[in-house]
Amino acid sequence: MNPVAAPTIELTGVTRTYRAGQPEEVPALRGVDLTIAGGEFVSVEGPSGCGKTTLLNLLGLLDAATRGEIRWDGRPVGSRPERERARLRLEGVGFIFQRFYLLPTLTAQENVELPMRAARVPRAERTRRASELLREVGLAGKERSFPHQLSGGEEQRVAVARALGNRPGLLLADEPTGELDSGNATAILDLLERVRSDRSATLVVVTHNPEVAGRARRHLTMRDGRIASDLREA
Amino acid sequence: MMRLGFGAQLRHHRLQQVLAVVAVATAVSLPVVLISVGGGVSQHELASLQNAGYQIVVSAAGVHGIANAHALTDRILAIPSVAAASPVLSVPMDAFVGSGAPTAVLAEGIIPGQFTPTLGPAENGLFPNPLPLGDPTDRVHFANGTYTGPATWDVLISSPLAQADGVSVGARVALGPSTNQSQAVAFNVTGTFGVPPTALGPTGAFAIVLPLSDLQVLTGFAAGPGAAVADAADSIEVAVSGSATSNPTELDQIQSEVQALVPYYGVSSLDQEAQQLQSASAVLTGFYLALSSVALTVGLLFLALVLVRRVEVGRRSIGIRRALGLPRRAIAAEIVGDGLVLAFLGSVLGVVGGYFVVEALGAWGSSVVQDAARWTIFDPTTLVAIVAGVLALSLLASAVATRAALRIEITEALR
Repeated sequence: MNPVAAPTIELTGVTRTYRAGQPEEVPALRGVDLTIAGGEFVSVEGPSGCGKTTLLNLLGLLDAATRGEIRWDGRPVGSRPERERARLRLEGVGFIFQRFYLLPTLTAQENVELPMRAARVPRAERTRRASELLREVGLAGKERSFPHQLSGGEEQRVAVARALGNRPGLLLADEPTGELDSGNATAILDLLERVRSDRSATLVVVTHNPEVAGRARRHLTMRDGRIASDLREA
Repeated sequence: MMRLGFGAQLRHHRLQQVLAVVAVATAVSLPVVLISVGGGVSQHELASLQNAGYQIVVSAAGVHGIANAHALTDRILAIPSVAAASPVLSVPMDAFVGSGAPTAVLAEGIIPGQFTPTLGPAENGLFPNPLPLGDPTDRVHFANGTYTGPATWDVLISSPLAQADGVSVGARVALGPSTNQSQAVAFNVTGTFGVPPTALGPTGAFAIVLPLSDLQVLTGFAAGPGAAVADAADSIEVAVSGSATSNPTELDQIQSEVQALVPYYGVSSLDQEAQQLQSASAVLTGFYLALSSVALTVGLLFLALVLVRRVEVGRRSIGIRRALGLPRRAIAAEIVGDGLVLAFLGSVLGVVGGYFVVEALGAWGSSVVQDAARWTIFDPTTLVAIVAGVLALSLLASAVATRAALRIEITEALR
């Protein structure tokens, strides 16, 4: 599988309402318009409940918009059937979650191989690539360790390696350092910046952490389901 | 899918899986035991029928319902290709050895010379040949129905009875229709005979064989005063000879001729009885399957619960995998695969368990149960069919869990 080029992502009038049509409906996003060019490093900030994670889920096609359109390189993808969105996620998106979300029953190597296996990468190739990625994130020698045998920082590095397995063009990280100490947080941020730079991938990071946000070149601030500000560094 | 399946889950859900396997195994062992033992006993009885030394049976409704048994025997013997016609009268009696307590026995009255040719290969070696019961025709004592001829008062007793009462050849045994020894008549024990294994248990084990006319006199079934049947017998077993033994058409012809002699009695061939036995066996097998289906349903419900429970516990794992882009079919295949593996292991364990249950019954059951266990037939086709059926039904159990797994919302599972 060749690296997937980072797509230009466009959100037009995207609204996401949970339990829509019911008395207790929750509007999470309200008519968001946004364009992210391929290769950008974007931070998304804002108070809790402002819609950051919902925006990230929609960007990564984990969720479908209630209204509006999501396009990748001009192609409407947000309203595609789940099966097709799953394929796009598998091949084009790498997710890094705050709580790592490694599968506890798999070793580090197996966790990294999992998306590659689903994408039918040949066994020898995915084994080689997983070993290489684990070495790249500083976990050589930990391939056979299970998640409960790793520290938080090591788990997040495995998660980063897993996100990179299918060489996605879009990396989405939701509070990637939220559960790490400052030393591990810095190491993970360095790692993310390096892989984004090396692979020309788009990186969107949801964070409360000013240090994390400070590394991005573009800063989105959200409030009440809307983008309140969109600042680009020169 | 990698080790998301059985191997990996085993580390984390070992107890649930073991319980599910045991539940399925228990459910499977029931039909294995029922069908194998039931089928084995039916096969044994069928083989006994097919190996009998006679091919046609005359019988009548009611107690000792055949009248004029000696005369009827002669008329049947006059039919071409009939080699032997053996009337049999079976009456429960009391046997007295010395002044000891009476022993309940089954007395069988026969015509010695006709009885031996109707024995099958399995029974033939159990009796002395010729039978040491005096007059082989039973005509001397019978004396054309007057019962005025001299009787030898000889009996043969079964080996279990001889062993239990300490009776040997040459001893005397008194037989009577009641526990009142004063009504009993003394007989000479002239021989013993073995008892073939039977699914009916030890009923026939304490048995005595004596000339038909002696038994008729002893029990009041001789001259027929009052309501008693004159010269009574329960059945007449007819053995044929020559090509009739293997030619169904000839056998049917002989059966028709016998029936013509006794239109008021039932005349059946052992083939017909074998067919009836097979029909009864099929009905029993259906009953066993119906009974087993209850156990299988419970076992598979347990399997479904374990799989659904696993989906609930693994909700986040499923959400993660779907978030990473793994297709739904991969998740469904994993659950179905796990269900099949558990069902297969349970089925194999159930078959093995059923085998050992039968072995245990054979070792520690009552004598009847031990006999049944010895005749058990573990038919590979039936066992494979049971396992295949369980695997097919496990797909239904897996479907419930699969449906639950595929309805999980990714974003909710990751919260």
